Amino acid sequence: MAKTLQGITLKGSAELVAEFFSFGINSILYQRGIYPAETFTRVTQYDMSLQLTTDPKLKNYLTNVVTQLKEWLFDCTVQKLVVVITCLETNEVLERWQFDIECDKTAKESSAPREKSMKAIQEEIRSVIRQITATVTFLPLLETACAFDLLIYTDKDLEVPEQWEESGPQLIDQSEEVRLRSFTTSIHKVNSMVAYKRTNSM
Amino acid sequence: MEEAAERIRSHTSLLQLTQEKQQMELSHKRARIELEKEAHSSSRDLQRQVDQNQDLLTKIRHLEEKEEKLSQALSEQLDNNKALKRSLEELKKQANEKDNKLGEGNQMISELKDEVQTLNQKLQIQESKFSTQNLENQALQEQLEMQRKKYQEVNQKYQSLQSSQLSSTESELKIKELKRRLVLQEQDSIIVKNMKTEVARLPELEREVKRLQEDNLYLRETKENCSLLKEETEGLRKKLERMEKVVEEKLKLETLLHKYCKNYEVLKLLMKLAFRRTKPKKARAQLQSEATELRSKALEEQKKRENQDALVRRLQKRVLLLTKERDGMRAILESYDSELAASEYSPQLTRRVKEAEEMLQKVQAHNTEMETFCIILIILSLSGYPRWELAEHTLQKMNPPLRSIALKFNVVIVCLGRQKIEELESERQRLEEQNNILEMRLERHNLQGDYDPVKTKVVHFRLNPTQVAKQQRAEELEQLRAECERLRDRLRKMEAGGAITTDDTTLIIPPSQEILDLRKQMERAELKNQRLKEVFQKKIQEFRTVCYVLTGYQIDITVENQYRLTSVYAERMEDSLLFKASGPVGSGNMQLLETDFSRTLTELVDLHLFHQKSIPVFLSAITLDLFSRQTVV
Repeated sequence: MAKTLQGITLKGSAELVAEFFSFGINSILYQRGIYPAETFTRVTQYDMSLQLTTDPKLKNYLTNVVTQLKEWLFDCTVQKLVVVITCLETNEVLERWQFDIECDKTAKESSAPREKSMKAIQEEIRSVIRQITATVTFLPLLETACAFDLLIYTDKDLEVPEQWEESGPQLIDQSEEVRLRSFTTSIHKVNSMVAYKRTNSM
Repeated sequence: MEEAAERIRSHTSLLQLTQEKQQMELSHKRARIELEKEAHSSSRDLQRQVDQNQDLLTKIRHLEEKEEKLSQALSEQLDNNKALKRSLEELKKQANEKDNKLGEGNQMISELKDEVQTLNQKLQIQESKFSTQNLENQALQEQLEMQRKKYQEVNQKYQSLQSSQLSSTESELKIKELKRRLVLQEQDSIIVKNMKTEVARLPELEREVKRLQEDNLYLRETKENCSLLKEETEGLRKKLERMEKVVEEKLKLETLLHKYCKNYEVLKLLMKLAFRRTKPKKARAQLQSEATELRSKALEEQKKRENQDALVRRLQKRVLLLTKERDGMRAILESYDSELAASEYSPQLTRRVKEAEEMLQKVQAHNTEMETFCIILIILSLSGYPRWELAEHTLQKMNPPLRSIALKFNVVIVCLGRQKIEELESERQRLEEQNNILEMRLERHNLQGDYDPVKTKVVHFRLNPTQVAKQQRAEELEQLRAECERLRDRLRKMEAGGAITTDDTTLIIPPSQEILDLRKQMERAELKNQRLKEVFQKKIQEFRTVCYVLTGYQIDITVENQYRLTSVYAERMEDSLLFKASGPVGSGNMQLLETDFSRTLTELVDLHLFHQKSIPVFLSAITLDLFSRQTVV
């Protein structure tokens, strides 16, 4: 892959971002307790230890989504990725982890690799994932059974494959938003933020 | 040594023995004390026993007395018992009577049940009718619902119609308003056009004004110039005369010149001839001197001639100029003369001047109007600040007097300009704030996940975990509901099955075997009871019919203790005898009660009941009597 020695190409950048999402989503699921902690296993990535799920159905779903996402990142047609956490009893959206993706479209035409060191990118990704872990301290507890969904905001005219369907944005009613760190591969810039439902303080 | 040891041993043994003796004495004393104590205690016990004995004896005496009393009471109780037994027997007899009555009541019940059955049949018929009616009702209700739906649709259409009508009226009103506005605007545009044309005419008017002013100045100047010109003309006339004289002189000089020229040429010819003819030397010198003299003369003559020519030319030019001036003066003078020809000189001029002054005043007034109008236009144009450049442009286009007046109002313009600037600044700030607020709002919306549906769409995987979880929940819910229904049915069956749940139905114990057995027994007993009832009824019915047939009387129990007898040969249905049981049930003492029918049988009553005191004879007599009445022998 042309990303370690010669700089970042569009393909390499797409792969980096897709990889980040794969690990990021797993971290969110582990930290928020959507799936039981026993179903996760520890792996090392970005010079830190992260949790990765072993549930085959979940793995399959994530792989499907991330491969499609990689393709769209390469085409620069994806604008946002959102992890929506819904309460199963009340069907309300409780949390929204939103990742804005800004793609430099000139990279499509030029095809000359950009100068950015892998180390710097990894350092940035590391700080983002650490911050995701740290946000758990102030997010309200998810006491009821919850499920998650992945939404992707794309260009209106994009043709989606058969397994994908259009959906609503699943916004939170009365939310608090917090902006988190961002990282960039010099071709793709990913801004992260989390929105959670305001709890009525007793 | 050994003796000492033995002594010591014996000493010790002595000591031991003394100790033992002392101990024995002590124990003896103790034993004695204890024995004394025991003796004391035993004496006390004995006394107590004696006391107890006495108590017991007294008690025995009491008890004996009680026994006597109780035996008395017992005898009394026995007497009571006997009395109660007798009363019980009586009560039993009453109970038997009541049973009889119950039997009769059961007969009534059976009859009533027959009636009930007939009523049930009727009810069933009614119910079938009712069900048919219900079906019809349902059909009608369905029709009604359809009609209602149609009515609702019609209502909706009507409402939509109304709303569209409202909107059409509103739009008509709007159209009217717009037309009015259009008319007003057209009027305004016409006014504006007129104003434009007037304003366009403005420069022409200004030009005219200029021209008139210039004409005025010119006229004033010409007034002065008139006299000057006249003097000039006189002077020029004089010059003209002089020039004419000079021209004559010139003509004379020209003729002289011609003559001289001719003389010169003749001389030349003569000279040539003379030169050829005469003798060369003398003649030549003479001739040469003559020639030189003639040449000098000729040169002088030529010079004179040239001078004369130049003079002549100058004079000719001067003459031409002067003639032109003279012609012009003549023309002016002629024109003045023609003006002054008819009447006097000054009144016409004064009239002219007055007219010119009036024109001038009018023009000045018009001018001031136009100036004010222009200023107003300027101010109006400046009040609308985008036309600032236009206003400046018009300022520049204006002619100087207007511009000066306009520039006098420069201060006003500057103030307006400053006001404009302040307004623009405030608006700019407001817009900046709005812009900031909107940007913040946009940022917030972006954070919340909002998107522009024109450019963006949101997609997700069909088989996503939330979907799966929701489906699972729905399935669980369905399962729970089904279980709930099943349990409810079970409960209903349990309640219907006979388990008497009085207050709490929470504990639903499954029916045990005992309960089932008991239920079966109960059912059997009920069946038995019913069968017995039916049998009893049949038998009673049979018995009564037999009685009726054999004795000829139908006996009914109307009320408690009263029996109504109706004869088989009775002439009317109401003819009946009433008997009342006077003594206890079963004893058979009957009394006849008054009825209408019995009043007709007073003889029989006297004979059979009062004298013979026999009811059967009385009844049979009645039968015979009625029979004889019915069958006419």
